[in-house]
Amino acid sequence: MGRTVSVVVPVKDGARYLGELLAAVSAQAADTRSLEVLVVDSGSIDGSPEIARAAGARVLEIPAGEFGHGRTRDLAAESTSGEVIAFLTQDATPLPGWLAGLERGFDLAGDVGAVYGPHRARPETSPMIARELEAFFATHESPDGGASLQHAGGEGFLSNVNAAYRRDCWAEIRFGDAPYAEDQAFAQRMLAAGWAKAYVPEAAVLHAHDYPPAQFMRRYFDEYRGLRAALGHVERFGLRSTVRDVRALVGADRAWMVQQGISAEEMRRWSRRSVVHHSARRLASALGSRAHALPPAMQRRLSLEGTVAGPLPDLEPGADAPPRPVFVPAARRAVIWDAVRRYAKHGPAALRPVLPGQAREAALHVACVIPPFSRGSGGHNSILQLMRRLELAGHTVTYWVSDELGHFDGHRPARLRRDLREWFAPIEGPVFVGFEDWYGADVVIATGWQTAHEVMLLPGCRARAYLIHDHEAEFYATSVESRWAEATYALDMHCICASPWLERMMRERYGRTTSLFDFGVDHAAYRPRAVERRRNTVALYARDATPRRAVPLALMALQELAERRPGLRVVSFGNGAMINMPVPYEHYGVLSPRALSWVFSEATVGLVLSLTNYSLIPQEMLACGLPCVDLAGISAEGIFGADGAVALSAFHPIALADQIERLLTDRDEWEARSHAGIAFTAERTWDRAAGQVEAGLRRALAATGPPR
Amino acid sequence: MESSSAVDPREAHIAELEARVAELETELHEQAARTAATVAEAQEKLYWLERWHVDLDRVMKRPGALAALEGLRRARGLKRRVARAKRRLSS
Repeated sequence: MGRTVSVVVPVKDGARYLGELLAAVSAQAADTRSLEVLVVDSGSIDGSPEIARAAGARVLEIPAGEFGHGRTRDLAAESTSGEVIAFLTQDATPLPGWLAGLERGFDLAGDVGAVYGPHRARPETSPMIARELEAFFATHESPDGGASLQHAGGEGFLSNVNAAYRRDCWAEIRFGDAPYAEDQAFAQRMLAAGWAKAYVPEAAVLHAHDYPPAQFMRRYFDEYRGLRAALGHVERFGLRSTVRDVRALVGADRAWMVQQGISAEEMRRWSRRSVVHHSARRLASALGSRAHALPPAMQRRLSLEGTVAGPLPDLEPGADAPPRPVFVPAARRAVIWDAVRRYAKHGPAALRPVLPGQAREAALHVACVIPPFSRGSGGHNSILQLMRRLELAGHTVTYWVSDELGHFDGHRPARLRRDLREWFAPIEGPVFVGFEDWYGADVVIATGWQTAHEVMLLPGCRARAYLIHDHEAEFYATSVESRWAEATYALDMHCICASPWLERMMRERYGRTTSLFDFGVDHAAYRPRAVERRRNTVALYARDATPRRAVPLALMALQELAERRPGLRVVSFGNGAMINMPVPYEHYGVLSPRALSWVFSEATVGLVLSLTNYSLIPQEMLACGLPCVDLAGISAEGIFGADGAVALSAFHPIALADQIERLLTDRDEWEARSHAGIAFTAERTWDRAAGQVEAGLRRALAATGPPR
Repeated sequence: MESSSAVDPREAHIAELEARVAELETELHEQAARTAATVAEAQEKLYWLERWHVDLDRVMKRPGALAALEGLRRARGLKRRVARAKRRLSS
């Protein structure tokens, strides 16, 4: 082999694995030109120096008080002469191929200054640690699972548990007097100085920090205290996010245990431990990165090393030095809304010619691109109801989830398909996450602004259509999202709109070709139920997290109404969380369609407002014989007429209260609107809506034209 | 001189090619429909494996997995033979 290597092992009471470690290093001596082994002992009382000497290593003994993660490694490097200095911790046992792997890392490029390898779990390691190690190092591999090269702006991780340095790189950068995280700080500086580092999967060691929960917590306290001092990293902490994260991590641990074939009893035991482990870790890391604010006695108690951190450099009184930035590596996930960037760069994909008959009657392959979803999403319900009926009409529909923000990371297509079937409609087609398996379609449909740019980029299609449920640019304050949402309406797609208001907007403001469809109603679920109709009940759609629902205006009207009518009863639905209201109310949360129909059948007036396009809910209320109130002058007139089944009110709290009160007191008006509502919704079916959408798809194909 | 009503052989060839393209496109459409149905059926069957992140390839690589599968097959074969024998005896 081409290089001389010095292996350095800092030790304090490391007898447990030291003999095994040194034997594993010696066994690989043939993989290098010359090998020297230096053990730096800082006051062991368990016989570690003797073990080292017996194994043929040179031992450098220093007083325990002189140890520092950075300065001791610098001292060791100065005391050796190899062209490569390989550092191991006292509990890291090299696996066969380790030294050859490190050497190979330096051969990858001329500017590689450091090489590191993975830490594999020992057999006795807990599942939490073993899984994390496996997942963590998998992200360091190249896409083909091999070695990877990293430059400034890329992966910043480096660990002296198992890392080797070219002597000239170490001499230029040095660890310095870093109390902790000296390897991470070194990596940051070496990359900034123009060096590269390499990760080699074969340069592996057996190593795992598996401690009892309390010790684990203290170790994390030390690590994050060190990261704060070295890199300025402050770990964020919130109760909700912690609960969410711990839940996700425990779920990942359990999935991993299933894959490993761990028995049910063991799984139960480790699951409990996993909850404790991840919770303690979140707490300790948050405390560790704020250690400077804790009293010294508490720091000592929380630290596994029993040490107290010095003040942070930027907190020293009177400090007057150039500020030190925190180096942040590039994120592994692509830029958000990357389809916008790709469309800006490449433009639309070419369309294939339309075949004879496709614009009129032939069965089509329809690819429906949807954004991520959750239970109760009205937009997805409408999309899936329509697509299911296209399937029933003989078309082949495939479903493609465009998940740029990673909401469904770790979810596999079969699970998402089942969710779509159970939550919205029993679709028959396959579901794909992302577009790796894309194989073209006769018509591809965008169903939300987040999907529109992606749809323009998809090759192998004959036509593109945009199923528009709302003017989504209005969902956002001034932002890139509002601008890009607006930009999607200028994309060259045939727009199939959910209301005359939208249809006119797309045609007149954006110059698009358009078609129209009417929302359907699931009459099996939404129908008058055998329950006594109350005379004093307002059913409020209380989704305050959606600003376009004008919930504050509705609450003002209810306050006014309650002052006029003390016996008023308010029930809220559509929002999981209870919201603050100026009147007492009964909370239903998010209900299934069938459960909701009972609420609608019992209430007197429905209050569901929209500041943009009308929604499905007023129709569902009407189908249950419940008259409702919405806002005038926006989109509802185009559907229900100015004085139709839905009573319309000005955007004014008192006018809105007046309108609700009329329906509560005027029995004739209530009866008239209730009957009008049932008659209106009778013909609103999803079959009819799907027929309208199909006609829109044919128009999109006709616009592309036949082959020339 | 050629007759004006004579068919241009190139046009006939083009018409032939167009008919062939239409035929192939129809085949392609049918294939896409079959593919979609096959993938959807596989997803339906795979639901619980995917829900619990079970990778059968990995499970079957575990020591003893093939032997266990073989044992299962034999047990199933034995059960079928017993059932068949019972049917014969009772008929």
